[in-house]
Amino acid sequence: MNNITIGQFIPGNSWLHKLDPRIKLLSLVVLLVGVFMIPISAEVLPLAIMGAIFVGVLILTYSTGIPMRKVLNGLRPIVFLLTFTFFIQLFYVKSGTMLTENPIQMYISVTSILGIILFVIFYNWSKKYIKFRILYFFFAAFMVFFIQAMLPYIPLTSYSLSIYDEGLLRAGFIFVRITNVIILTSLLTFTTMTTDLNYGIESLLKPLKVVKVPVDVIAMMLSLTLRYIPTLLGETEKIMKAQASRGVDFKESKFKDKVVQIISLLIPVFVISFKRAEDLGNAMEVRGYVIGAKRTRVDEYSIKFTDVFTIILSLVFLGLIIYSRVIA
Amino acid sequence: MGIQFKDVSYAYKGLKVNYDAIGHINLTIKAKGEFIAIVGQTGSGKSTLVQHMNALLLPTSGNVVVFGQNLPPKKKEKINFLRQKVGLVFQFPEYQLFEETILKDIMFGPKNFKSTEAQAMEMAKRAASIVGIDESMYDQSPFRISGGQMRRVAVAGILAMEPEILVLDEPTRGLDPRGRRDLMKIFNDLHEKNDQTIILISHDMDLVSEYAKRVIVLKEGSIVFDGKKEALFEHPDFETFHLDLPTPLKILKHLEKEVGIPYQPKYDFDSLLDHLKEVSHE
Repeated sequence: MNNITIGQFIPGNSWLHKLDPRIKLLSLVVLLVGVFMIPISAEVLPLAIMGAIFVGVLILTYSTGIPMRKVLNGLRPIVFLLTFTFFIQLFYVKSGTMLTENPIQMYISVTSILGIILFVIFYNWSKKYIKFRILYFFFAAFMVFFIQAMLPYIPLTSYSLSIYDEGLLRAGFIFVRITNVIILTSLLTFTTMTTDLNYGIESLLKPLKVVKVPVDVIAMMLSLTLRYIPTLLGETEKIMKAQASRGVDFKESKFKDKVVQIISLLIPVFVISFKRAEDLGNAMEVRGYVIGAKRTRVDEYSIKFTDVFTIILSLVFLGLIIYSRVIA
Repeated sequence: MGIQFKDVSYAYKGLKVNYDAIGHINLTIKAKGEFIAIVGQTGSGKSTLVQHMNALLLPTSGNVVVFGQNLPPKKKEKINFLRQKVGLVFQFPEYQLFEETILKDIMFGPKNFKSTEAQAMEMAKRAASIVGIDESMYDQSPFRISGGQMRRVAVAGILAMEPEILVLDEPTRGLDPRGRRDLMKIFNDLHEKNDQTIILISHDMDLVSEYAKRVIVLKEGSIVFDGKKEALFEHPDFETFHLDLPTPLKILKHLEKEVGIPYQPKYDFDSLLDHLKEVSHE
């Protein structure tokens, strides 16, 4: 229930926490554009730049005082994607020098299938004892291919696989790039309160008002949605407990029962959220909320020296990357 | 049998630190014939305590034994059956309603415990009649009745499982005085007629003094008093519990001070009235 990444603000006192949300958002966009502008290649320069960025991102994380474990956990949902892209790159890039002298012969055989099944069972059993699960999953995917190469007995069919150094480098490049992007974005959500974030989005979207986009309404909707996620989660937990008291067993039951159980959870939560929405609407109206009217805020944001410095640094970074592309 | 707490502590997990909700609770509750009120300030751990009684929460240290089942359970031990033995009514239970008709909603509990459709219907009708839901209402939607009636339907949903111990977390909260009295009468009848054990969390000291026999006072997660209600109000440390005196006792103390009527504790308004009549005759 508690590991939903939206609004996962971790209180802290670092410079990144104190940065103006507008600047933080803008810098993030600039940095992401920069990261994506580095061309995928197996040459030394882009690889070095990507590696340097990775180190930079780690230093950045360290400077905010956010536990590294938390940041790496943010990678968990995309582990599969990471592994998948890695192996696709590895197998389909056919340029550069081959790493092995001859193509590796891979066998789909009775023994290798058996081996894979045994390994998957072992993996599922052992993964709870492993600390770095992302790396472990990666290792497991590698093992699946390794077994195919090592157990050729009683073969059914076979194929050959040749791994080129360029494939390996490109795969690694993409791997690091996705990791960089995810860590950078999660740093934003970890160090910015949802209210601040919302303010940042609102003021960055302000120019769109000229073309009649209801920016303040969108911003209000966004902030209310974010605000109500923890509330509704709390309500859901309460309802879950109440229904558990009536014998609903959310853990150990058959699929047929599960449908009824989910309904017993969904309908009350639905009813509650409507009720909450109505109460909130009334409360806002009572306090004189008018859509589109001019409002002031409690906290005024001001741009400080660190803010200017950060955005300039990000722009310089982007400029350097564009420059290096132009030269190349 | 019944419920036993042996040195139970529970801590909620926080981001960096754990928050102790209750600590070192020792408690024995009999399966029959008790009427216990649990009182204490907001945040003193009352709700956390009662959620251990039907295994919604499992102790972080210590043991709870509920009808012979040890908690926390061993691996693969099923504990769902405890929810039938110990019926827990949450605050604002009307939010748990979800079925199309009132009767179906009351049947939900029994059906979860492997009763057949006919049995469940039987149990639901019995529970509905206990809380005073009329037969003509069975087919109405539970969302189209008044708040007080919704509360009754929700309570019937728990009663229909025919639990041996009934736990109520502020059952009268948000009801008008009339609804409060009616609902408490239902619980008191269950206690008196069936000798059922009832555990009640309440902030309303008038209800506590009128109905409860035994009172447990919680303060910052520990039990600071456990005994007869008569002993509670005379307790020398009563001030430190941060509890209100029930209104009848307040009136009697006031009368002793201002008019000089000798103080004699009465725990509900009816006996207070009788007592005052007697005094005025003398």
